[in-house]
Amino acid sequence: MFEIKNLNASIQDKQILKDFNLKVNPGEVHAIMGPNGSGKSTLAHVCAGREEYEISSGSVRLDGVNLLDLEPEERAVRGLFLAFQYPVEIPGVASMTFLKSALSAHYKFNGKKELTIPEFMKLIKEKSNSLNISDDMIKRPLNVGFSGGEKKRNEVLQMTLLEPKICILDETDSGLDIDALRLVANGVNLLRSKERSFVVITHYQRLLDYIEPDFVHIMADGKIIETGDKNLALDLEKTGYNDYIEKDI
Amino acid sequence: MTVKPSNKTSQIDQEILKLCNDKIDSFLDYNDDISVIKREAFKRYSKKGLPNRFEESWKYTNIHKKLQNIPVSDKNYPIPLNVDNFINSFDIMSKIKSDNDTLIVFMDGKFIPELSMLEYSKNGMEINFLSHGDVPRWAIELMINKHNVNEDPLFDLNTILMQEGVLINVSANVKIDSNVYIIHIGNNDGFFNYRHVINVGKDSHINVTELKVSNRVNDALYTSSVLWNVEDNAIVNNVKYQAHNQSTVGFNQQYADVGSGSIFNSFTISSGSKLLRESRNISCNGENSEVSISGVNLLDGESHIDTTLVVTHKAPNSLSKEKYKSILSDRSRSVFQGNIVVDQIAQKTIAKQSIDALILSNDAEHDSKPELEIYADDVQCGHGATTGQLSADSLFYLRARGIGEDEARRLLVHAFISDVMEEIQDTNLRNVLRDVMNNMLNRVSKGRLNV
Ligand SMILES: Nc1ncnc2c1ncn2[C@@H]1O[C@H](COP(=O)(O)OP(=O)(O)OP(=O)(O)O)[C@@H](O)[C@H]1O
Ligand SMILES: [Mg+2]
Repeated sequence: MFEIKNLNASIQDKQILKDFNLKVNPGEVHAIMGPNGSGKSTLAHVCAGREEYEISSGSVRLDGVNLLDLEPEERAVRGLFLAFQYPVEIPGVASMTFLKSALSAHYKFNGKKELTIPEFMKLIKEKSNSLNISDDMIKRPLNVGFSGGEKKRNEVLQMTLLEPKICILDETDSGLDIDALRLVANGVNLLRSKERSFVVITHYQRLLDYIEPDFVHIMADGKIIETGDKNLALDLEKTGYNDYIEKDI
Repeated sequence: MTVKPSNKTSQIDQEILKLCNDKIDSFLDYNDDISVIKREAFKRYSKKGLPNRFEESWKYTNIHKKLQNIPVSDKNYPIPLNVDNFINSFDIMSKIKSDNDTLIVFMDGKFIPELSMLEYSKNGMEINFLSHGDVPRWAIELMINKHNVNEDPLFDLNTILMQEGVLINVSANVKIDSNVYIIHIGNNDGFFNYRHVINVGKDSHINVTELKVSNRVNDALYTSSVLWNVEDNAIVNNVKYQAHNQSTVGFNQQYADVGSGSIFNSFTISSGSKLLRESRNISCNGENSEVSISGVNLLDGESHIDTTLVVTHKAPNSLSKEKYKSILSDRSRSVFQGNIVVDQIAQKTIAKQSIDALILSNDAEHDSKPELEIYADDVQCGHGATTGQLSADSLFYLRARGIGEDEARRLLVHAFISDVMEEIQDTNLRNVLRDVMNNMLNRVSKGRLNV
């Protein structure tokens, strides 16, 4: 189970997350929607362990372990995955080397035997095919020269390989064309299982047509102000955020 | 000939001047060309002594602070007896040397035939030595040409003190497919002075790899100059690898004159050193000549590496590319001064320079000073310089995928030099050097590099 309790976080003396609470049971999909600047990416980064944020109180627990006490890499191998809103381009680091290092770290933590190179290659090929990621992309340095949509698909590829317990997708749908959106959603749906849960941050109801959420939350000014089922997203599409934000005040 | 050092000069300045004074005495009675240029060099040198920081091109490098005395040895370590194993004991040599290569080995300033592997004359390549007395005319002329226009006091110093060096003459139309290695091994403490001269004839092709390694942590001071003359339509691939220890002070000078249609590709890896000055003077003398001058500097401890480069375009349609990457940790310091000169006649020159430094500690410092002097109007010149730390975004991205911090830093440090290594033309040598550097980089990425 993934549970965020009374999380308060600030950056440069500006408080962004304000007593944030969220409980995600295994197998559930939660969507978080909210206006620009409401703190969605901040939440995702704080969970993943970005150091720049000052955390004044609260906890982020995955299966009882407080992730806030751990280094980013430990959070990752314990099963937290963040699909970045803006994946980083890293020239000089080959995609393959990166994927191999990441996978090895996970296998090592889980006491699994490391894959041989041919096994690894086969795995990559299989997973990347299903996301329509070409060999050519995989041979390039990490994310370098990838289009916006290609970067997002590459995030999903990593998620598929690393088989996390909790996946936080930060606007993975933005920048995708209709076909890519379907591919990505399909990739996510294939990963859905009784044990694995998702927090899907998005601005668009459309993604939720493909990835059907169990809960939809509206986040504003650093906290969740409204929770509903998938129909909340449909209502939101019609009315915009103002109704909810005003109601909250 | 006696010159009194003024009392304003530093200890090292006085010691070196005295040494030159003593050395030059033995050339006073001779009128051969080498004795003459030595005397002229001494005359020029003794007026000013070692350069100091008031001189523009020495603004960032203070010899007098880094170097107090001429190292002298109290012990005398002999040449290792097990000759065959000795060369192979240097990791890099065991990996790159092949049987038909030419190996020219110097130790502590002397040519060591028993460690070398060469034929004095073979398939259009003639090899001579500076110390063997009758220096060939072509080499004397190349030396005189440089001497006449020289303004660098350290080159004069090298001329005064040069005791040994190899003189390689490649005739026209010769493709030497094996490698020529010029190896300097440090064994004892002391002050050593090398002068190498290489002439590459028309339409010829040669690969020269220079290695500077130490057998033990010796306290060495050296000057070393390499004079290249590359005639038309020739190809030179030159790689220099110098793994100095933290007590070495070195002054390297490279001069290259590159003829029409020729390609001169020169790559340097330098690590360690208490103080290292790399002066490189490259000249595109002929039309359609192409030069690539690049390198990697790895600095740690109190290392100071100064790369001062002048590329001059003297003919139309020539191309020059300079690409340097420095990685600094601890309290090290690197300096890059890159001057591109385009003469009026050198229309359609393309000159590119990129200088990047990656700083891994708070106390390290990098200074970079690009300069362009362009007298032709139809040219493309560009330069870019970056100085930065490992990107926090990149580090976080890697760590967020489970990659540990050390490993993430290591990947990023490797990534930083990855593209410049492509400048090494010989893929085999490039791969070996990548491997050899792996270990160094692994340490440097954690902020520790002990070569
Ligand atoms: N490094 C920073 N320094 C100062 N303010 C920051 C920094 N990073 C984020 N913020 C501020 O924190 C607030 C929340 O930003 P965040 O990126 O979490 O919003 P978001 O909900 O993800 O928005 P969007 O929908 O546009 O992606 C914004 O007001 C932003 O300007
Ligand atoms: Mg965001």
